[in-house]
Amino acid sequence: MEKTLQVLNALEHDGVVRRYAIGGAMGATFYVEPVLTFDLDIFVILPQTAYGLLTLEPLYEALRARGYTEEGECVNIEGVPVQFLPAYNELLVEALAEARETLYEQTPTRVLRAEHLAAIAVQTGRDKDRQRVRLLREQALLDNNYLRGVLARHSLEAKWEEWTT
Amino acid sequence: MGRMDNLRPEIARLIAAKEQRRRKLAALSFSEKVRVVVQLQQMAAPVLRARGRPVRVWALDDLKPAGGK
Repeated sequence: MEKTLQVLNALEHDGVVRRYAIGGAMGATFYVEPVLTFDLDIFVILPQTAYGLLTLEPLYEALRARGYTEEGECVNIEGVPVQFLPAYNELLVEALAEARETLYEQTPTRVLRAEHLAAIAVQTGRDKDRQRVRLLREQALLDNNYLRGVLARHSLEAKWEEWTT
Repeated sequence: MGRMDNLRPEIARLIAAKEQRRRKLAALSFSEKVRVVVQLQQMAAPVLRARGRPVRVWALDDLKPAGGK
């Protein structure tokens, strides 16, 4: 996966994406026990297009130019199916802005904060998100004050209470 | 009921050991966890494929044995 992250870093360096961070199950795995997943979810902030549209096409184009092909909703980058998810709301934009810098082996990368992963799971609201919230509460060292702020800013407090009490 | 009572300490020990293993896994480094995820993929893939779900096990060339001694 190190080579995959190096490709993502190159995309950011070249301005193809403005910022990226690992989220989804692999993001959660950073904080908790390993969770089975077959995709690497990468949240991205895309450069603004001339028409103000959010489109992944320039990103896919840049990856094709580097020899990485699409497989369904993912792009296979160095043996890892990567699913790119543009930051489509304020919670995701904030999560990307405040993502945690870390190293994977020798390669720098970013992972969404555990508090944002929990808030995104609550906002998304599927059964597997409920499971993710449970795991994060059990095993991640959540900063409760920070989490309360995130939930309040994005109107998720009521749903959080519903899920956790 | 008496038989269940006899089982309880053993079950409690098993549950505690399982919990300890989960905490140990949670404390691994990120790259070690990724190796465990790939091992999980290798175990789950045949079952999922048999159910008609096409999945791809990550082909990582930076894979080394997880938790090697």
